Amino acid sequence: MSVTLLWWALAALTVAGAVAVIATREMMRMLLGLGAFLLGLAGFYAWYGFELLAVAELFVYVGGVLVLFLFAITSMGRDREGRSMERRLDLGALGISAGMGLVLLVALQSTLPAAPTAVGASVEDTAAALLGPLLPYFELAGVVLLVALVAALAIIGREDAR
Amino acid sequence: MTSLALACVLMSVGLYGLLTRRDIIAVLASIEVMLGGAQLLLAAYSASVTLASAAQGVTLIVLATIAAEAAVGLALLVALVHRGRTRTDQIEEVRG
Repeated sequence: MSVTLLWWALAALTVAGAVAVIATREMMRMLLGLGAFLLGLAGFYAWYGFELLAVAELFVYVGGVLVLFLFAITSMGRDREGRSMERRLDLGALGISAGMGLVLLVALQSTLPAAPTAVGASVEDTAAALLGPLLPYFELAGVVLLVALVAALAIIGREDAR
Repeated sequence: MTSLALACVLMSVGLYGLLTRRDIIAVLASIEVMLGGAQLLLAAYSASVTLASAAQGVTLIVLATIAAEAAVGLALLVALVHRGRTRTDQIEEVRG
């Protein structure tokens, strides 16, 4: 019973964070919502038995990407007006997004198994998988990260040279 | 079913933000929400398969790719802010 309660609490945290991202006008509040969303995701990974993934989510997203967002926000504007955003209700977009969600739900419901049960995976087994059959993809992810880093430096460096 | 419904709700919320927000940083955050929903679905349904360790490895690789996307997106945002543009409708040209 308590496990189900924990699942619903995580779901509420994740959805509330996601809604805060799209509904708030203040950038800092949006960032807090994104932080709650990412913390909820990390909680779900731990709930499904993926402890390594939960810790990686905390380190990479809450500790890295969120700070990167904070850095971008602080570089945008000093006044309060510069950090507020436009918020509007668009019924067409609401219909499109709700329709896409329904189509995904109906399409995936028939192909995916009924109810996932948390089995989990140990860190040792994951390391063996990453350095075994998944090694090419693991190396490719490293190359993608390196290219992204060089691209980010090139974009910022070109702006500084102007 | 509940995990699938949650992932679909997150995808819908992210898509709504992507379609309605005009500020670049809010668009990036909405994309993060959509990717988070997809990643949650991957984690939820790979937890029950026999090769759960390999599934966790795949999810880790996806996480690294999303982090790379965020890094390039935020670098583009900072470059656009230097030019005084913070909204998507202020971007008129895509030139190297």
